[in-house]
Amino acid sequence: MWYAISSVMVLVGIVSVVFKGIEYGIDFRGGTELVIGFSSKVAVSDIRVALDKVGLGKSEIKSYGSDENNLLIRTVEQGEGTTISDKIKLTLQQSFPNVTFEVLKENRIGPKVGKELRLDALYAVLCSFIAVLIYIAFRFRYTYGLGAVIATVHDVFTTFGFLSILNGLVPGVNLEISQEVIAAFLTLIGLSVNDTVVIFDRIRENEKVHRSLSLSEVMNKSLNETLSRTIITSGTIFLVLLILIIFGGEVNRGFAFTMAFGIVTGTYSSIYVASAFVLDWSIHVQKKKIS
Amino acid sequence: MTRIILILLAVAASIVFLWPTYKDYSYRKHLSVLTGKDSSAYLEQNRDDMLAARSKRIKLGLDLQGGMRVVLEVDIIQLLDDLAKNKDDNFNAIIKEIRAESSTNEFPIIAALAKKFQDRGIRMSRYYGNIRDDDSKIIKNLEDESDKGVDRAIEIVRNRVDQYGVSEPTIQKQGGKRVIVELPGVKDENEVSELLRGTAKLEFKMVKDPAITYKVMDAIDKFLAGKTEGDSALAANTAGETDTVKQKPKDALSELTGGQAPTAQDTSKRAQFLREHPFFTYVSPDQRGSGDGYVEPKNKERVTRLLEREEVKKILPPDFEFIWSAKAEQFRDGSKFYRLTAVKSTPELTGGVITNARASIDPEDSRPVVNMEMNSEGSRDWARITGANIGKRIAIIMDNSCFSSPVVQSKISGGRSRITGMDTPSEARLLEIVLKAGALPAPVTIIERRSVGPSLGEDSIHAGLTSTMLAFILTALFMVIYYKNAGVVADFALLFLVLFTLGVMAAFQATLTLPGIAALVLSIGVAVDTNVLVYERIREELEGGKTLRAAIDAGYKKAFTAIFDSNVTTLLTATVLYQFGTGPIQGFALTLIIGVLASLFSGLVITHVIFNIMTERGWNPKFE
Repeated sequence: MWYAISSVMVLVGIVSVVFKGIEYGIDFRGGTELVIGFSSKVAVSDIRVALDKVGLGKSEIKSYGSDENNLLIRTVEQGEGTTISDKIKLTLQQSFPNVTFEVLKENRIGPKVGKELRLDALYAVLCSFIAVLIYIAFRFRYTYGLGAVIATVHDVFTTFGFLSILNGLVPGVNLEISQEVIAAFLTLIGLSVNDTVVIFDRIRENEKVHRSLSLSEVMNKSLNETLSRTIITSGTIFLVLLILIIFGGEVNRGFAFTMAFGIVTGTYSSIYVASAFVLDWSIHVQKKKIS
Repeated sequence: MTRIILILLAVAASIVFLWPTYKDYSYRKHLSVLTGKDSSAYLEQNRDDMLAARSKRIKLGLDLQGGMRVVLEVDIIQLLDDLAKNKDDNFNAIIKEIRAESSTNEFPIIAALAKKFQDRGIRMSRYYGNIRDDDSKIIKNLEDESDKGVDRAIEIVRNRVDQYGVSEPTIQKQGGKRVIVELPGVKDENEVSELLRGTAKLEFKMVKDPAITYKVMDAIDKFLAGKTEGDSALAANTAGETDTVKQKPKDALSELTGGQAPTAQDTSKRAQFLREHPFFTYVSPDQRGSGDGYVEPKNKERVTRLLEREEVKKILPPDFEFIWSAKAEQFRDGSKFYRLTAVKSTPELTGGVITNARASIDPEDSRPVVNMEMNSEGSRDWARITGANIGKRIAIIMDNSCFSSPVVQSKISGGRSRITGMDTPSEARLLEIVLKAGALPAPVTIIERRSVGPSLGEDSIHAGLTSTMLAFILTALFMVIYYKNAGVVADFALLFLVLFTLGVMAAFQATLTLPGIAALVLSIGVAVDTNVLVYERIREELEGGKTLRAAIDAGYKKAFTAIFDSNVTTLLTATVLYQFGTGPIQGFALTLIIGVLASLFSGLVITHVIFNIMTERGWNPKFE
């Protein structure tokens, strides 16, 4: 039954990614990005009109953080050196002479760099999975390694889907795929496996101690014993992430959001998916041995 | 007993390493309150101490300090182009292909170049090295040259940054041709971009005879107007491809007029002139016969694009090119224009001969000027060149922009020359730095640039501090509520965790970034896990009937494997992240690794020791 729920969640995520798509941060797309703090509120539409005159009308313009006067302007246009950002600044100066502004943050990423980072991110995620698989298989049994990885893959996919679904819907939170978000995924892989490992460790111990019990009974027992710990730990980490979302600054917000959701699915998958998989796989293997 | 000593040592060490950060902070606070004479007196007294504190404090990332981070890529293709001799069309075509391919893909340039030569069956020795060298030897030489070139570029960038005067800059090589430059506290990004970007390629080129220049301009003009069968010998260059070329004038023309092209019906004088003389509409020849063209600033881009078109380039005779003036000049009526000068492509002299440069103000016209001195070989050549070209103009060109093109008055034998044509003294200073530190062996492009303004940096520090404190307080509270006095012990461990993490970072001069602060906050959450695992185990043991002391020991022992395994996986993924990430993300990974290790120490060792002390003294911790 739990498999059904998990599959649905993963599927919904995939559908959203395919149709709604994900938003890449500037790190992965390349281009120029400016965060401008205006002295008074300037309408996004006015800025778009002004930028359109210099051929940058397709830029993304949105609010940045909680301060209304801060805006993020981003374009994938590539120009020599700093020409694009200079152009934007000049246009803003000319079109809004009564408003002063300060450049809070500026990023300019060349086209090759964006592509490289995308590849690097993919490699990093794959590497983590493999490293985790090897370590768990080494410390426990191979089946357990597989179970841990499947649970974690499930987490990554659902979280990814979650980002895609919610992007743009939550005010003040930027859910684009940036380097920080990738960092969140990688940390998530590590933390989500934590939960799984604690349960597996208990299973391993109980197997030795209670030899008379069947595997599924051992698993149940272990899950019950570790339940309070799992809830407390996930709860504390979730709390800490909540603090980061509210107080941690704009840069950390995307990270914290991703992780918070990931922790929830991680806990769920550790309890319901990982062990269930190991159990079913073991039964399957045993059945094959018998026949 | 040894464990207690170890703990105390660790605490002491952390405090020692963190002390400079505190001192630096208090000095700055003190200074901000003092003014004028008091503050300079204070500075004088405590200078050494303050510098020491500053250098040993926790390094803050750019996202917390404000500053700029630039990734430079050395243009290896240009380096290879410059190193080659006997360049012909074949060679140029190959270079062009490689350049186009590499703008979207990353691949080893030299190997690709070699392959292209092989594919066409051309020996590389035709353009490089000796005639007898085989390809593999040449490839190795080129790779050496390229490595040396990148290293030289790094040295030069380092020189320039040092002279510019940035505190604590970081300059690192990345891969085969990239340089990462981090400049904390830098406010004027444009100045820095100028400083880093230019090759500082200084060249002295002869200005072409005005008669020839005018002929070329006329040929271009006629070509654009559709009269390709001009009687000018120069236009004969296009004769071989009249068919394709006949279509091209329209493209080139529309590029030039770009939407301003007059309709067929328009018979105004202006439209008439545009049809007859499209080139001269935008480029006004100097009436005084210098051969230069004047172009309004708004038309500079379209004329540049036009001159870059293949079909127009074919009209230019060999060893002939147009150079823009570096700055817009002004007519007497105040209107601005850019000067287009025709020069001989091959330079007479290059910047390599410059030994010294000094920015100053010209006493005659009070404008900024940079005076340069040359080495003996350069002086000799310069004397010869100036002696042979009295009355002609020499263009002084920096990074393909002409700063000035004075007439040679007399033979200059002292190896001195000067560059004029800058607007402000700071420009002159930048030029001086760039000339003195040396010409970059190959152009350097900025492929990535990130900057954080100081106010955002301050906000980030605030956000970081607030979230850390809140996370700490809330977690501590929770532990006390749920685990009562055992929870208090865990809180002590949390305190040590933060202390150790920051201490280790200060000791290793690791950089703290905003995501790094997030990692610290996360570590606090993860540290709780260690405690929870142990405490839950102890509870079970107590329920099973063990004595308090035995239960505690058993709890730690049994929980160890779970704690160890789960933290190792976090460390594994954090290490992968460290390899993958850049800048702030690496800061995150590093802080997380240190934090996890510290939490292991404080959660397993410190709390256990404290419990042992407590049970010995009879203060029994409760684990309900």
